[in-house]
Amino acid sequence: MESLDLPLLTSMLENDQIKRLLNAIALNNDQAAYKELFLLLHSRLKQFAYSILKSGEEAEELVSDLFIRIWEKRNQLTAIESPLLYFYATAKNLAFNRISKLKRQQTLAPEEWLVQLNSIYFDPEQLMMTEEMMRQIRQAVNDLPPRCRIIFKLVKEDGLKYREVAELLQLSVKTVEAQMAIALRRIGKGMHLDIKTATQTQQTPKNS
Amino acid sequence: MSQEKFWVLLSKKLSGEAGAEELKQLESLILAHPEWQYAIQNLEDLWKNSLQKDSLQEEDAFMLHLHRMTELNIPFEDEPAEIPAIPVSKARKKRWYWAAAAAIVIVAAGNLFVFGKSLWNHDKSAESLAGKEVNEISTRPGSKSKIQLPDGSIVMLNSGSKLIYNKDYGIDNREVTLVGEGFFDVKKNKEKPFIINTANINIKVLGTVFNVKAYPEDKKTETSLIRGSIEVTIKNRPNDKIILSPSEKLVVENGLVPDKKVRQKNDGELVAAPAGLNTLIAINKLKYSPVDSSVAETLWIENKLVFRDESFEELAMRMQRWYDVSISITDEKLAEKRLTGIFERETIEQALEALKISIPFHYEKNGSKIIIHQ
Repeated sequence: MESLDLPLLTSMLENDQIKRLLNAIALNNDQAAYKELFLLLHSRLKQFAYSILKSGEEAEELVSDLFIRIWEKRNQLTAIESPLLYFYATAKNLAFNRISKLKRQQTLAPEEWLVQLNSIYFDPEQLMMTEEMMRQIRQAVNDLPPRCRIIFKLVKEDGLKYREVAELLQLSVKTVEAQMAIALRRIGKGMHLDIKTATQTQQTPKNS
Repeated sequence: MSQEKFWVLLSKKLSGEAGAEELKQLESLILAHPEWQYAIQNLEDLWKNSLQKDSLQEEDAFMLHLHRMTELNIPFEDEPAEIPAIPVSKARKKRWYWAAAAAIVIVAAGNLFVFGKSLWNHDKSAESLAGKEVNEISTRPGSKSKIQLPDGSIVMLNSGSKLIYNKDYGIDNREVTLVGEGFFDVKKNKEKPFIINTANINIKVLGTVFNVKAYPEDKKTETSLIRGSIEVTIKNRPNDKIILSPSEKLVVENGLVPDKKVRQKNDGELVAAPAGLNTLIAINKLKYSPVDSSVAETLWIENKLVFRDESFEELAMRMQRWYDVSISITDEKLAEKRLTGIFERETIEQALEALKISIPFHYEKNGSKIIIHQ
């Protein structure tokens, strides 16, 4: 609850913002807070669920289920430590439950997830780039290996911390760190940022 | 320094994971390679650039979700919402929780002030206000006042306003009555909600800082929320609660209007009340100034009379209170002219001269009486 005493004018960290909303729902039955929380997380969670379920309809229903759970268990909400991770972990569990019901398959390795990246968004007014460069960057993003992709998405688009991604995907923080570096290097290549020639090292990059 | 290390550091910086030591390492590395600057800048821009969410689509998803909850018989609301797109609920027992998030509320309450006849269904509050000893603080037109309430809450009272609270304020309730306009900084208290009664609406504040404006002569009651959350009850619809989201402004037409035609210019969503209760309600988005992201509705605290696309008639009403003068506009077309601007240190004469530049008119000033004509 100490997050509630933060200076009002500083921009609240997302986890704090979510905590504040959860508290309002838990203690006040605050419907406006419930709606705000839904609007804040819906599309990301839906995309996350989609990556596992590979069906938009199923993903939509899953997010709705998740929020029903939030409303029904609202008096327990104040105890959540890492709210953003809680949402993703719950979404993951719900998705795996759905899969195991449908296909008698227990889980799905991140390599099999279908991750859509949507934040590589170019605003030509703001980015000083040539068409060719943008094409190369898009290509680089599209070609990211599956595990790298999901990690990149969770960090960049969903705002999870390395530690939270590691816990969610059951990886080490070091692995998350390495995968993020790989993603960045591939995108950087599209921008002609080639550290190999720049640093004059002859070392070949290790990818694993 | 291996290139792997560089990418690890850069991605940690972009994700907000890098510590001070790592940032320093990265910086010196970049400094040594000015030729990377361009690409690194592009990567940083790319990182920050993200596609805006389609908020309409999100709203739709929420509606579908609520619909699904109803179908699955999960209680969320006691009765269906009467006003679409506004969460409306019946009064229920709530433990009021005072989030530290600031709520700034402006209310311009109007017309008839029915004191003590509150329909506010919060137990004994109405009778206690009417029956017990009360404190009443008022400000004359042209002056402002700062009040500290017994619980430490602060109220700034604008010109020509009145704040009433009973002597046992803070003991078993925190309820005030407002005529005019005020800026409230309310101390957190989970047990005792802060309630403002005005002639046409009641407000329950779910935050700690808010601004209230309420004038009897105005045509509409306005409630603007900057941050946090507030709950508004309109007196002739006591069963509905309207919960405002940040940056929303609720406009309620005072008194009964003869038809459902909207009289004032209104670019927001307009929701008419159900038949029989023809109170006009509109929820608009607040407009932030692109320069300093201020909202016109709260700038009076900084001694600024701000008007953005207001009719001369409305502005004249405010200038009367601001300068303690009386203004009458004899020409209807003039009264309807729309004006935008700020008065800060101007005298009434300077203000009128400034207005004459945008809409030509003549005026006669006789003491504190001003007559405006073509």
